[in-house]
Amino acid sequence: MDKITFRRILKWGFLSFFRNGVVSAATVLVISLSIFMIGAVVVGSTFLSGIISSLEEKVDVSAYFKTSAPEARILSLKKDLEALPEVRAVKYISADEALLAFRERHAGDDAILQSLEVVGANPFSSSLEIKARDPSKYDAISKFLEKGSYGDILDADSSGQKKITYRQNQFVIDRLSSLLSTSRRIGFAVSLILAVIALMVAYSTVRLAIYNSRDEISVMQLVGASRAFIRGPFLVEGVIHGIIASFFTLVLLYPAFWLIGKKTSVLFGGINIFQYFVSNIFQIFFILLVAGVLLGVLSAYIAIRRYLKV
Amino acid sequence: MIYFDKVSKVYSPTSIALEDVSFTIAPNEFISIVGQSGAGKSTLLKLLLVEDWPTSGKVFFESNDVHAIPKEDLPLIRRRMGVVFQDYRLLPQKTAYENVAFALEAGGKEDDDIKHDVPQVLELVGLMDKAWHFPHELSGGEKQRVAIARAIVSRPDVVIADEPTGNLDPLNTLEIIRLLEKVNDLGTMVILATHDKEIINSLKRRVVTLEKGRLVRDEQRGRYVL
Repeated sequence: MDKITFRRILKWGFLSFFRNGVVSAATVLVISLSIFMIGAVVVGSTFLSGIISSLEEKVDVSAYFKTSAPEARILSLKKDLEALPEVRAVKYISADEALLAFRERHAGDDAILQSLEVVGANPFSSSLEIKARDPSKYDAISKFLEKGSYGDILDADSSGQKKITYRQNQFVIDRLSSLLSTSRRIGFAVSLILAVIALMVAYSTVRLAIYNSRDEISVMQLVGASRAFIRGPFLVEGVIHGIIASFFTLVLLYPAFWLIGKKTSVLFGGINIFQYFVSNIFQIFFILLVAGVLLGVLSAYIAIRRYLKV
Repeated sequence: MIYFDKVSKVYSPTSIALEDVSFTIAPNEFISIVGQSGAGKSTLLKLLLVEDWPTSGKVFFESNDVHAIPKEDLPLIRRRMGVVFQDYRLLPQKTAYENVAFALEAGGKEDDDIKHDVPQVLELVGLMDKAWHFPHELSGGEKQRVAIARAIVSRPDVVIADEPTGNLDPLNTLEIIRLLEKVNDLGTMVILATHDKEIINSLKRRVVTLEKGRLVRDEQRGRYVL
């Protein structure tokens, strides 16, 4: 396509966008609603998966050792654990460190600190804090600890049960892990359905607008306009619709997330969806822009095809 | 030159629009195609414009069988035909000037040529003072004059007018026909489809008469006889 044709297509695209005032406004509105949904879904699901990850982060398993256990063996167990594919990180906390952490935690509480003095020796045992790649792996890790060759250095309670926190929290961890994976799946399905609905509504609107121009399209063809010259301005209009809609949507999302953030930050343990939105506003705008422009242009392209038959 | 070669258009056995029609139109000719509604006038013109395909037979524009032209080359041949319709078919979102200029823009003409040619043609049809009006701000006669300006601005080989005066009063009708005569005097072939007896009798040009899809009369300096 030569420069002069391209310039004319741009000119007619802009002119018909403004001359079609009401139809343009309606199209922008519908595309805005569509990408509003897409934006809400994107932000919502990223936020949700952020919460899920941070919850998973909080889950870990600690194994406590007998005071007599030599540090060298504990460290070699740590190395073995790190070699397992299920394990993401292992942290060694010596008895001294555990004591220090305890003192810090209860710095203001004299009664507790005095009771430590009474005990005299360090009552804490050293431990390994293990994080798995995924909460469902804790079972396997704790079995490895119990059945492995290191069973003798693990501390045990009076009934012989090894001191591994997984056993104590097993129920909660299992529930949490299945809850998290289910909410991931539901979140994905809901996003997908919403996105498809949004696409269909936007496409129908653009198609209706182009259906209105079908007589014009056939006249243009009879006057000798090429397909590209007829189609071009509609695609330019689609781009304009998309750009305006993405700005408009951003303006709509801002107060929406502000309100949601205010009401729900308590629910999510202080994590605020509005802060997430504001700190990622450029990426979100970029997603909206791409979605809006694609929606506008592709809908126009597909819709106009059927009127360019002759 | 345009040549209809044994053209038939059959929609169904009971609906035959054209049957075995053959005739030739020379360059510079002003030819009227007459006949009652449904005689096949519009179908004939639609076939020439490649808006429709014949059931059998061929339509030649110079040496080209127009229905054998590949889709992407159709705009090229359409730029050599100017079209005027009964219902004007102007682009509603474009001013009179832009409607005329559009035909040239579509043909890839330079801006300077467009700036020179469009006012000239609007002057010819007597509408320079309404150049920046939109179609809905013009009367029927004015709209049709814009349509004629659009049809002739690209200096086509032929102007095809399908019932151009069907929606106009007698005075406007006369003006439109005078314009078409002027176009023909300047050397362009004109094909006029009409069922207006007055027009035909005043023109005293070649008349091709269609009846139920058949060519029944072809006379130089014809009169309207049905």
